[in-house]
Amino acid sequence: MPTCVIDGREVEFVPGQNLIEVAKKVGVEIPYYCYHPGLSVVAQCRMCSVEIENVPKLQPACATLPKSGMVVKTRSPRAVQNQKAVSEYLLINHPLDCPICDKSGECDLQDYSFEYGDPHTRMTEERRTYVDLDMGPVIVKNMNRCIHCTRCIRFGIEVAGIHEMVATERGNWTEISTIDGRPLETDYAGNYADICPTGSLLLKDFRFKRRVWFLKKTPTTCEACARGCNMEIHQDGNVIYRCVPRENLEVNKYWLCDEGRFNFHYIHDKDRVVAPMARLSGKLEVTNWDRAIEAARETMNAKKPAILVGSDLTQQEAVLLRDEFLPRKFPGAPFFHFGTPEIISSKDDGPADKILKRKSRTANLHGLEKLGYNGFEKLPAGTDAVLIVRGGRAVLPELKLSKIVGIGVFKRKEVESFAAVLPGVTFAEKDGTVVNFQGREQTFRRAVAPPDGCKGLPEVLMTWINHKEGAR
Amino acid sequence: MLVKRKTAFFSRFYLFEIILGLWITIRKFFSRKVTIQYPEQRRRYSERFRGQHYIKATNGVENCTACMLCPTVCPSECIHIEAGERPDKEKYPVKFEIDILRCCFCGMCEEACPKDAIKLSTIYEMSSARRPVYDKAFLLEQRGNK
Repeated sequence: MPTCVIDGREVEFVPGQNLIEVAKKVGVEIPYYCYHPGLSVVAQCRMCSVEIENVPKLQPACATLPKSGMVVKTRSPRAVQNQKAVSEYLLINHPLDCPICDKSGECDLQDYSFEYGDPHTRMTEERRTYVDLDMGPVIVKNMNRCIHCTRCIRFGIEVAGIHEMVATERGNWTEISTIDGRPLETDYAGNYADICPTGSLLLKDFRFKRRVWFLKKTPTTCEACARGCNMEIHQDGNVIYRCVPRENLEVNKYWLCDEGRFNFHYIHDKDRVVAPMARLSGKLEVTNWDRAIEAARETMNAKKPAILVGSDLTQQEAVLLRDEFLPRKFPGAPFFHFGTPEIISSKDDGPADKILKRKSRTANLHGLEKLGYNGFEKLPAGTDAVLIVRGGRAVLPELKLSKIVGIGVFKRKEVESFAAVLPGVTFAEKDGTVVNFQGREQTFRRAVAPPDGCKGLPEVLMTWINHKEGAR
Repeated sequence: MLVKRKTAFFSRFYLFEIILGLWITIRKFFSRKVTIQYPEQRRRYSERFRGQHYIKATNGVENCTACMLCPTVCPSECIHIEAGERPDKEKYPVKFEIDILRCCFCGMCEEACPKDAIKLSTIYEMSSARRPVYDKAFLLEQRGNK
C-alpha cells in the first residue's frame, strides 16, 4: 500500500480515503465541521485545512486525497493559525449559550473551540440573531447557534432523499431552514440532531431532560424492525433518555429512523403492566406472582392449547421455549411466531422504504424462522387456550377467546381480555441475540434494570415449571 | 521492663506542680475572655463564609438557567434540578432542591455557576426538627448579608 507522512508519522492508506480518515488511523485528530463520513464532501468550513509540503496554500483535509510520499503537517504554525482564525470567525455570531444548550458536552464547536480556538474574543459588535420557526414534532431549531456547515441540507438530499432543508439569504445572513417554514417530513428527522455539529438542531423529545455528561451509554440493537440497526441507549438513574445510532457500515451506516429512536418510550410507559395480574373473581386485577402463575396454569390446563411467540423475543428465549418449556409443559402443542400483521414469514419481509426500514416491524423474525417457528395465520380449529409470549413490540393478533395468558411486556389496554398476565422485560432490560434480515447475529446487553414486579422470561418459565399448587 | 524512677522526697507531694497549674487558672480568670454569650452576642463572620444557600434574582427573575453545572460539580450530590421552558425564559429551573443534610458547604456550586445564581450566604443557623430540603421558593428568598 502507498504511504504518506502525517505529522512525522508514516501512514499506509487505501487510495480513495481522504486525509481526515487517514490521519484518524494514526491517532492524529484533524478538526472538522462540515465533513461527515456518510455525506458528500463540500470543504466549506475550512477548519480542517492542513499544510502540505510543496503546496503553496493550505489544503482542506476532507477534500484532499493523500498521494504516495505526501508530507502533511496538521499542527504547523500556519495550520494552527488557520484553526484559530476559523474558530474565531465561527464564534463571532455564536451566542455561547452553552449553559442552556442541550448539545453542550458533545458539541463539536465547543470541543474544537476549546482545543484549537482562542480563549479571548475581540468581538464587541451585536451578534446576529434570527427568529426561529417551528420544525415539526421531532426537531427544534435554534438558528443563532448555526455555523452553516450544511450537513443537514446534504443529509436531506443524499440520505433521507428529500430536499427539505435549504439555505436562504447569503453570506453572513445565510439562514438554514425548511422551505417556507414547513415541518420536517422525513421519517429520519432525528438524524438532523445527531449530525448537527452545534446545538442548532436538537431533539424536541430530549430537550432539557438531562445534560449529556450524566448519561451512561450502553451499545444495543434497535428492535423496531428486521434491520436491527446498531444504536446506543443513553440512560441515567435507570431511566432511558434517548437512543442514538451507532456506526455500522453494513447495517445502518450512521443513521437511525425516528420510529427506532423513540421506540424506547414504551419501556417507561405508565400503561405498561409491571405487576402480575390474574382474573380472580371475574375481574383482571393485580396480584402476586404465586397467584398469577396458578391462574395461568389453570387457564392453560386445556385440551388444545396453542402457543404464540412474538418475533421480538431473542434467540436465547426462543430456544428456551422450544427446547425446554414447551416439551415439558405443552408437548405436541402447536407454536407460532407473530409480529407484524400480514408479515407471516420471512419471505414477506422486504424493504419498507429506500433507506433503512423493513416491512417486518419486529427485530427477530428471521431468527425465529431459523429456529423452526412457523408464522401465525390463524389458530388451529378447536384451540381453547392460548399462551402469548412477547417482548413488547410484536402486534397482538385478534383472538376471540377467553382463555389467554400473556407473558412479557403488555399495555393495560391490550390485556383486558386476558386471564393472566406475567410481566416480562423489554429489550433494554435483558441480554440477548437477534438475527436481522441479512442473517447477521447481533448481541445486545442490558441497559437498565427492569421494574420491580417484572421478571425475565427464564425466571418466569422456571417458576411456572417448579410452582407447586397451593404454595403461597 | 519496669523502671523505678527515683523522685526527690519534696517532689512527691506535687505541691509545686499544683501551685503552678493553679496559677494558670487564676491568671486566665482575670484576663480577657474569648467566649461570648452566643444568642445575645454574635460574632462577625468573613464575607467569604460559606453558609446557607440562596439563588440570586435580578428584577424578580431568578438568575439560574438550569445549566446543571452545580449538580455536576457537587461532591455530595445534594442538588437536584429539573429544567423547563417558559415564554420569558428559554430555560429555567422548574424544580431546584438542595438536600442540605448532604451538603458539605464546599462552595463549589457557587464557583461553578456561570450566571452568579447559586450563592452561599453567611447564615449559619440552619438546625431544623425535620430533614430540611430547600426548595426553589425557599432558596429564592433573599437572606443574609451578601
